[in-house]
Amino acid sequence: MEFFLQQCVNALQWGSFYALIALGYTLVYGVLRLINFAHGDVFMVGAYLAFFVSTGLLAPEGMFGFSREIVLILTIPLTMILTSMVGVTLERVAYRPLMRKGAHRLYVVITALMCGLILENGNLALLGASRRTLPTLLDKTVYNIGGIAVTNLKLLVVFTAVLVFFALYFIVTRTRMGMAMRAVSWDRFALPLMGIPLEQVVVFTFALGSSIAGLGGLLFAMSYPVLDPYMGAMTGWKAFIAAVVGGIGDVRGAFVGGFLLAFVEIMVAAFLPSTFRDLFAFSVLLFILWQRPTGIFGKPLTTKI
Amino acid sequence: MLRVTNLKAAYGKIEALHGISFHVEKGEIVTLIGSNGAGKSTTLKALMRLQPPESPIVTEGDITFDGVSILGVPAHRVVSDIRMTLAPEGRRIFGNLTVMENLQLASWSRRGEDTDKKIQHVFDLFPRLAERARQRSDTLSGGEQQMLAIGRALMTKCSVLLLDEPSMGLAPLIMYDLFRTLKKLNTDEGLTIIVVEQNANLALRVADRGYVLDTGEIIAEGPAKELLHKPEIKAAYLGG
Repeated sequence: MEFFLQQCVNALQWGSFYALIALGYTLVYGVLRLINFAHGDVFMVGAYLAFFVSTGLLAPEGMFGFSREIVLILTIPLTMILTSMVGVTLERVAYRPLMRKGAHRLYVVITALMCGLILENGNLALLGASRRTLPTLLDKTVYNIGGIAVTNLKLLVVFTAVLVFFALYFIVTRTRMGMAMRAVSWDRFALPLMGIPLEQVVVFTFALGSSIAGLGGLLFAMSYPVLDPYMGAMTGWKAFIAAVVGGIGDVRGAFVGGFLLAFVEIMVAAFLPSTFRDLFAFSVLLFILWQRPTGIFGKPLTTKI
Repeated sequence: MLRVTNLKAAYGKIEALHGISFHVEKGEIVTLIGSNGAGKSTTLKALMRLQPPESPIVTEGDITFDGVSILGVPAHRVVSDIRMTLAPEGRRIFGNLTVMENLQLASWSRRGEDTDKKIQHVFDLFPRLAERARQRSDTLSGGEQQMLAIGRALMTKCSVLLLDEPSMGLAPLIMYDLFRTLKKLNTDEGLTIIVVEQNANLALRVADRGYVLDTGEIIAEGPAKELLHKPEIKAAYLGG
């Protein structure tokens, strides 16, 4: 039982990473009907930006003389802002020109795939193959709750994911911008007729999704400090699948889907040979989609995001 | 006030308007009538400066508002700065939002300007919407959806309202009600209205002036009363 609960804690942590990435996929899809396949790599870029920001702030010469707590507190918003700029740049440089020319959505999706590869390989070319290690920003404290070991970092990760979810849910359902995002997903044509600049809504969506991916990248790098250019690829794919299983376009779906995938993965790895992990995980997801092709929260042709 | 000169507009390589000219003065109701494919909706989309693929590109001619060309103005600025908006064909309300949200969203460019009062005004015009305020708008009936589409347009505080086939799919009684409300907005508040209609009879009874379009050209124009009684127009568009 303790072993099971311990695995649950691990699954919650992994689920948080998946959820944070899946939310970005779902936001962009909800608004633009575009699967932004570069999103997993934006997560990777987020982790690297967190590395550069935090090592820069911790400059060995004691240039700033910040304590590590302050560095962490500064790294979070800086990483989010910088990563959101990467996402917005992708939209501006790669997707918007195609959309403007009325390109079929397939070409935009392929462009997104290419952008992801460019980010991965650009990173490899610029920074070389040697791996970077994120400095320790948070001293590890282990809490023992009824025989289950929980680190402060795991608590931070899960807490952040839940917080982000509620913040996003609030933005989408309660704010003017969220209303506009939902409206775009229903009918892009009518939006300018309300005096709303479509591009402003699109940029906001990309900025929001990417900043969450950046936050995820930072937390991931804090948990697994060794960074490599391909770290976003597999995790990104899985998060995308999680978003689809949850019902892509729905914020709740991305959140639930992320945790669901992590639970299946971790439990399979815990109780069966770990080589079975992905086979089982994806078989379960396949079964869910087979039963509900639009995902857990997805409704055909109705509300998205 | 609004002047269209020799306007040519095309979807890709296919020209849909072959140089039309007309004008609309402040406080008028002007109708554009004509059969399917005459270019009525195209004209409205061009006026709104909407972009392809749904809307045409202006290839020649000019659209001016108070003497200034609006060809370079993006659609959302036409709404916010020129105060002209369109209740499009097929209503195009945001079905995944509630009635209230649709109205609130439409006040985007009028932030901080007594939105609640304006919503109340729309509810006074269309009491049915008040009853359905918290309902998802795709659950409304066709007539209610058209009321919402017009109410939403009014929320932008437009002084020129373009309507693309507002009577489509409406029961006659609701249709007459709707046009009575439009006439009231025109006389009481000085709203300028450009209405495109298949139901030419109805449109000409409400309008001050009319233009008849046929395959991208204006073939007749004049005061609505005259058009209503012109034999050739009667034969072609009013069902004899």
